[in-house]
Amino acid sequence: MSRSELPDTPEVGVAEGEVDYDELEALLGEKVLEREDHVNAGGFVIRPDDVQDVLSTLRHEAGFDHLSNVTAQQYEDRYESIYHLKKYDDPTQEVNVIVPTPTDEPVSESAEPVFRTAEWHEREAYDLVGIEYEGNPDLRRILLPETWTGHPLGGDYDQTKPQVVSLTEHANPLQDDHRVENDNDGTDTMFLNIGPHHPATHGVLHLKTVLDGEQVLDVDPDIGYLHRCEEQMCQQGTYRHQIMPYPDRWDYISAGLLNEWAYARTAEDLADLDVPEYAQIIRTMGAELCRIASHLLALATFALDINGDFTATFMYAIREREKAQNILEDLTGQRLMFNYFRLGGVAWDLPEPREEFFEKTRDFTNGLPAASEEFHNLLTNNEILQARTIDTGVLEPEEAKQYGATGPVARGSGVDYDLRRDDPYGYYDELDWDVVVEDGCDNFSRLLVRMREVEESAKIIDQCVDLLEDWPEEERNIQSNVPRTIKPDPDTEIYRAVEGAKGELGIYIRSDGTDKPGRFKIRSPCFSNLQTLPEMSEGEYIADLIASLGSLDIVLGEVDR
Amino acid sequence: MTAPLQSALMPEQLANWLGLDAYGGAGTFVAGIIASALVATLMLTNAALAGPWAKRKITAAFTDRIAVNRHGPFGLLIIVADAVRLMSKELIVPEGADRPAYDIGPILIAFSALFAFAVIPFGTLGGINFQIADPEIGLVFAFAIASIASVGLVMCGYASNNKYSLLGGLRAVAQNIAYEIPLIVTAASVVIFSESLQMSTIVAAQTETLVTIAGISIPSWYAFVNPFAFVLFLTANLAEVGRNPFDTPEAPTEIVAGYQTEYSSIYFVLIYLGEFVHIFLGGAILAVVFLGGPAGPVLPGLVWMLIKMWAVFLFTQWARSAIPRVRIDQLIEIGWKGLLVLSFANLVLTAVIVGVLTL
Repeated sequence: MSRSELPDTPEVGVAEGEVDYDELEALLGEKVLEREDHVNAGGFVIRPDDVQDVLSTLRHEAGFDHLSNVTAQQYEDRYESIYHLKKYDDPTQEVNVIVPTPTDEPVSESAEPVFRTAEWHEREAYDLVGIEYEGNPDLRRILLPETWTGHPLGGDYDQTKPQVVSLTEHANPLQDDHRVENDNDGTDTMFLNIGPHHPATHGVLHLKTVLDGEQVLDVDPDIGYLHRCEEQMCQQGTYRHQIMPYPDRWDYISAGLLNEWAYARTAEDLADLDVPEYAQIIRTMGAELCRIASHLLALATFALDINGDFTATFMYAIREREKAQNILEDLTGQRLMFNYFRLGGVAWDLPEPREEFFEKTRDFTNGLPAASEEFHNLLTNNEILQARTIDTGVLEPEEAKQYGATGPVARGSGVDYDLRRDDPYGYYDELDWDVVVEDGCDNFSRLLVRMREVEESAKIIDQCVDLLEDWPEEERNIQSNVPRTIKPDPDTEIYRAVEGAKGELGIYIRSDGTDKPGRFKIRSPCFSNLQTLPEMSEGEYIADLIASLGSLDIVLGEVDR
Repeated sequence: MTAPLQSALMPEQLANWLGLDAYGGAGTFVAGIIASALVATLMLTNAALAGPWAKRKITAAFTDRIAVNRHGPFGLLIIVADAVRLMSKELIVPEGADRPAYDIGPILIAFSALFAFAVIPFGTLGGINFQIADPEIGLVFAFAIASIASVGLVMCGYASNNKYSLLGGLRAVAQNIAYEIPLIVTAASVVIFSESLQMSTIVAAQTETLVTIAGISIPSWYAFVNPFAFVLFLTANLAEVGRNPFDTPEAPTEIVAGYQTEYSSIYFVLIYLGEFVHIFLGGAILAVVFLGGPAGPVLPGLVWMLIKMWAVFLFTQWARSAIPRVRIDQLIEIGWKGLLVLSFANLVLTAVIVGVLTL
């Protein structure tokens, strides 16, 4: 069966909407060496050369069509890769596939033939931990320079020893003749470095592009310029307070609270902490303000990519975003690195006087429809923009799933997947709002999804404000009782995700019995979404490549971590 | 048709006033140099005003900002500050640049834009007729000189030894060829009315009254006589000067800055200057051909001419702030399949109608 053909969603291994792990075990037969239980889902331990068989069975026969994340880690006695599988139809149905490999020969079969998104995830695992994946089409380092020595998250790596990475061993990309090898028709091609410093990369991203005239033959994103060892730093912080400031720095496009929620949700589930309802409402409101701010910036920069540097749309969108930023500043005391969530609640209550805060927030959401109308007039109703974006950067739904695309990118391709609704957390399931899905699969659809999501977020905020306003004064509990030090039981493992501004932002934590995580893995939505870029833009014009990149709305801080 | 209103051109007038005409040809030559210097200074002043200051202020007004306001009144001294800043920057020539083409390119761009102003009738101010020359082929001359800029763009593009420059240069040439033909063909449809390519004659032909409504007589500006041609010309002109929706040759978010990517310091100034003067040249031709040139009530002719040129400049900035950019293939398609066909249809129709009416 080819990768793009999938049978109708099977119901094997499902009992009353829950995953039936016994049935799955029976399905996999003797390939299952052992069963494991993680906090989020059950898991199967398999042999390193059964990876493709097992994942293929789970994907095609049990319907686990979403490879959410690949976590690699080194234990005292073995290496381990964990494939976190989910279903796009129901992400609460999860299964972990655990692949241990011996320390002296960490070689495992690649999952790439089953899930294309595994290519990058396995490259990252190889780069940082040192597991080799046989059959991965392009097993190179992905975040660190090619000349780096050792695998920094591996067990025997000396993290105190500084490393001088010489660039001279690098091949100079400008010197080589980069003509495409299988250039049969004799047409000349041109290799073009787009980035790492380029007006349209929205950060330090390097696209190795091969052009035939103005058309893109091949594009290969080169990432890692903004790698800041976020996972390593989180592993050195204590659960209670020291990790929370880091998520703000992943997706720094004002999506801070959404990121903080990813950690808060994971750690709270890991340590079994409650969050008061009142704090959940505040969290929901703050997170949606962040989503609006983030989407408005995506809209603004997309206008830059399509219109050019002097477009009015950019400033108009920034003007609206500024209002959201001001409200967030009132709420958290910060404009960029909020550090507002705490395990079990939030840092402090709404600012006094509360009426003023509510009024300001309502003014903002009430003004949004008019602003939205303006953006539609400037962008989506403009015929030139339609000519530029409709049917360009096409990402078919099956391709989107293959690459593990989530968030507005998946929803712009007609994949109805939103963790706020499908895997409810916070206060979302109590509120009245809709998941926005467009099935155009093109740049226009992704733009439209973000614009409509801004309106949905405004609806959520309005309802939260109403709830908060009527909340009895004596029940305004912003923080539950949380132990001073959190020490989960050793070898408790959990993978939890929230709907960030760009998609599914997940975190895997393995505790080692101390007050710091043994392994902290971040599943970045931008990392997976960026993988779809070659799929979208090969064969199209260079201008469409830029537009597609803009429509993906990546943040390099989150891609590289 | 009516004779030109002002028969004496600026060089002759100057020669007369300064007593240079006593020296024969040499005197006229000197007077011509002085006249050229005056017109060039006028245009450079306009470009200096537009580039560092007015462009910022206009764009800011469109985009909800304030822009420069700390350097002197209304931030006007930013012009001085920017001039010092740009001139004092290091001139970086990339390795492998093809010289002297790399050096000639920017000079050609600035020169071609300025040179074409030799035939533009600016009208009079204080009795001086601001027009250097008025050849019978004035309109063709202006277009011919202006299109030399394309050569400069190609030189900048390929001589920079930069792939973005190369892409930008190729785009610029493809665009200029695709849009200059409709531009000239549309202008030719106006010549059918005026029966002359001479700038002063075209202006004079537009002074007649078209209709009188409620005591106000509307002059027979060709924008009123043939509004279709006016719109065509305005559109093609946007492409000619490379402003949205046709700013593909520069397209900063796609190909960094196109042909000018590798230029710094004084070369950068020359290219930018050329660009702005070119916009004003487009405005000047538009004003002469469609808006009655320097004609207008109360104010002197030169002032009216400048107002019309600035109006066109304002229009380009408006388009830049509001309209998305088309893709290169769409741009070429619009040029060859749309504008070219429309402009020829306009030419033929105008010719037929004028022929029938004058029979």
